[in-house]
Amino acid sequence: MSASTPSVGVKRRLWIGRSQNLASGLVSLALTLFGLLVFTFILSRAAPVDPVLQLVGDHASEATYQQARHELGLDQPLPMQFLHYLGRLFQGDLGVSQLTQQPVVSDLMRTFPATIELATCAMFFGAFFGILLAGMAVYKPGSWMDHLARLVSLLGYSVPVFWLGLLGLLLFYATLHWSAGPGRLDDIYTYTMTQNSGFILVDAIRSGDADIIKNAIAHLWLPVAVLALLSMASITRLLRAVMLEETNKEYVILAQAKGASRLRVVVVHVFPNVLGTLITILALSYASLLEGAVLTETVFAWPGLGRYLTSALFASDISAVLGSTLLIGTCFILLNAFADALTKWVDPRTR
Amino acid sequence: MKKLLAASLLVCASSFSAFAATPPNALVVAQSLDDVTSLDPAQGFELTSVQTFTNVYQRLVQSDPQNPTNLAPTLASSWESTSNSLTITLRKDAEFASGNPVRPEDVVFSLGRVVKLNLAPSFILTQLGWNKANVDSHIHKIADDKVKIMWDVNVGPSFVLSLLSAPVSSIVDEKVVMANAENGDFGHAWLNTHSAGSGPFQIKKYIPHEALVLSANKTSPGGAPKLNLILMKNVPDAATRQLLIEQGDADIARNLGSDQFQSLQGKKGVKALALPYASLYYILFNAKVEDNPDLGNPKFWEAAHWAFDYRGIGVDLMRGQFQVQQSFLPVGFNGALTDQPYHYDPEKAKAILKEAGIENPHFKLIVSNQPPYLDVAQALQASFARAGIKVELIPGISSQVASEVKEHNFEATVSAWGPDYFDPNTNASAFAYNPENGSKTLAWRANWQIPELSKMTIAARAETDEAKRTEMYQALQKKVRESSPIVVGLQNKKLVAIREDLQGYVQGIMPDMVYYKNVSK
Repeated sequence: MSASTPSVGVKRRLWIGRSQNLASGLVSLALTLFGLLVFTFILSRAAPVDPVLQLVGDHASEATYQQARHELGLDQPLPMQFLHYLGRLFQGDLGVSQLTQQPVVSDLMRTFPATIELATCAMFFGAFFGILLAGMAVYKPGSWMDHLARLVSLLGYSVPVFWLGLLGLLLFYATLHWSAGPGRLDDIYTYTMTQNSGFILVDAIRSGDADIIKNAIAHLWLPVAVLALLSMASITRLLRAVMLEETNKEYVILAQAKGASRLRVVVVHVFPNVLGTLITILALSYASLLEGAVLTETVFAWPGLGRYLTSALFASDISAVLGSTLLIGTCFILLNAFADALTKWVDPRTR
Repeated sequence: MKKLLAASLLVCASSFSAFAATPPNALVVAQSLDDVTSLDPAQGFELTSVQTFTNVYQRLVQSDPQNPTNLAPTLASSWESTSNSLTITLRKDAEFASGNPVRPEDVVFSLGRVVKLNLAPSFILTQLGWNKANVDSHIHKIADDKVKIMWDVNVGPSFVLSLLSAPVSSIVDEKVVMANAENGDFGHAWLNTHSAGSGPFQIKKYIPHEALVLSANKTSPGGAPKLNLILMKNVPDAATRQLLIEQGDADIARNLGSDQFQSLQGKKGVKALALPYASLYYILFNAKVEDNPDLGNPKFWEAAHWAFDYRGIGVDLMRGQFQVQQSFLPVGFNGALTDQPYHYDPEKAKAILKEAGIENPHFKLIVSNQPPYLDVAQALQASFARAGIKVELIPGISSQVASEVKEHNFEATVSAWGPDYFDPNTNASAFAYNPENGSKTLAWRANWQIPELSKMTIAARAETDEAKRTEMYQALQKKVRESSPIVVGLQNKKLVAIREDLQGYVQGIMPDMVYYKNVSK
């Protein structure tokens, strides 16, 4: 009993240890983000694209060109440009996007929720069915379930997502009418419903109008399904491999020798042992959904972060590119840290 | 289980099936809005922006939608001209959407702020010799309904009138704009996303990359629009736009590709339109490339004119999207030459090259990877190959290609040129003008030294006798066509689909000529 109750000193040491962890975590977060910024900045400047030309167009006069160049601060040396950017960043100012002429912060606040909504829903279904499929595959390797799992993951891996999206629209929207068209809501609702959270689904539920909720879901399910298939494919593939490897271990053979059913072996013995890996897979999959839904967002006219970043990249809109990169980078790092912590919590071996 | 599945599918089907059809008093337009940088007429210079200006603002004079070469008084009611001034009488009782009257002060303010802000389209007005310091002394209120506009450069009043009919010359409501000005920006930041005009519509809501909503302005001086609302949705993918119009979820789908256009033809409920458009596609050679001096040889240019498969590319390959045009003024412009002295003759091109002693003709062609540029470039590669000219194709993103051309870091490029205002000078000053002062015209990009042609271009701009002016532009077109490193081959058409029940939709050859006012359904 006394052993399990740590003394005050131990508690204190634990606390210090944790706060040190936190501090070092924050420092490494800041360093990683700084590295990301430097890298993105250099890359965007090294690209053979003239951002001024993008802003004023190639018909504008030389005087206009020079004025815009000056206003963007591009007539200053590169290190100065970067320092200025950092200075503003510390005041929470990500600059103004050339493309939208809006503060990057407000652009991100508008586009990011749209992407989170899509990615979270897709992640939910992708993870659910991915785990289910992988479990079924491992339950009876070589059976039809296993073949199904392999087929689905192969499909999700090899079919281009924009093509799948277009095909989905053609079938479910144009032919069968099971899905609403591109966009987040029908036009009638878009401009009548009060939107304050940026999440259409949340706002729709808050409005309490069944028609709006139904409409939001009708718009959401198809892009979610397409993305979910994608993440399901990678989850199934990775998880199946990890679990199969695990089933060859001695403790599994022992459990089987003791007469445990295959279902019990998979669910009770194997699954908890791969939980740590699963968490990492899910975290990475979610992070890639957050920034990688560009093509899906294009096909479904979904005004999310992926599209914002791509159009900013094409226009060499540095502030927008840096702001989005920073946001995505932060998400990646936080998700990783969260996954690490979660793994440590569920899997004692990693502590 | 199967029954349950079937039942749930049926529920899904029945609950989602009755979408389609847009609201009766609103027009839903599916197009890309990704090009918009600003909805302030002093800055907006993109397709979507200028189309919006036509419907949200009015200018002193504007092209007649039915007969574009005619300038019709809009916020002006009449004018008197001298060789260096225009005295304009404003339309009686004209009001902005805010209810403020349209005053001479608004004209002075609107034109002045364009010059002072000095943004992308300001060059259109600064051609008149106006600059930040002198513009205020060149535009005056002279009576409660009269404004006098003056210029020092040698141009005629008809040229000035066509500049005043450009989108950049939209008249904004000074009182509303200045109430929203900050840090001496003449209300620019506010006008980026709001409107203060007298056009048939006003901006109700603008969400960048997402939607632009216009609502009717019933008191517009030219009369109220027929519809209450226009909703322009950002649908960046052309195939998705096609789906929307087929389903009836959009009334108009803009900028379709050749593929979408073909498959929409004959579809029930949809009208696919190929509308003449003033954009010209050309191949431009850099006449000063150290490694490839042949590109500066006029004989090479001549051969290129015969190695361009005009009909094969424009009519057969890119069906419906082009017409052949070989002069630098697009069909539909005053004075445009529409005859076609060249045709595809690879043998003749070979003979010209041989006679000039050009062995192993070749060049690198940089081109935007977007349709239709890349398609045209690929077809040109094949068409030049048959004339013995080896073309290495280098596709890139548009912004990169534009940057390299502006730095003379290229051998040849395929691109398009759209006019900036409805006057022949807009193209003449691009194709046939390369002044010393470093204006980066098309001729400059081609490194083409043309002091004589540049002088002719200035003279044509200054000519006040209309008939004589037209003759001068025809002479210029002939000279450029006969020998230049810019081979003009095709004129674009805009592929647009509209629902069959839509009436009164008019779209002209200039980028801004999109008129929603009389649309009804």
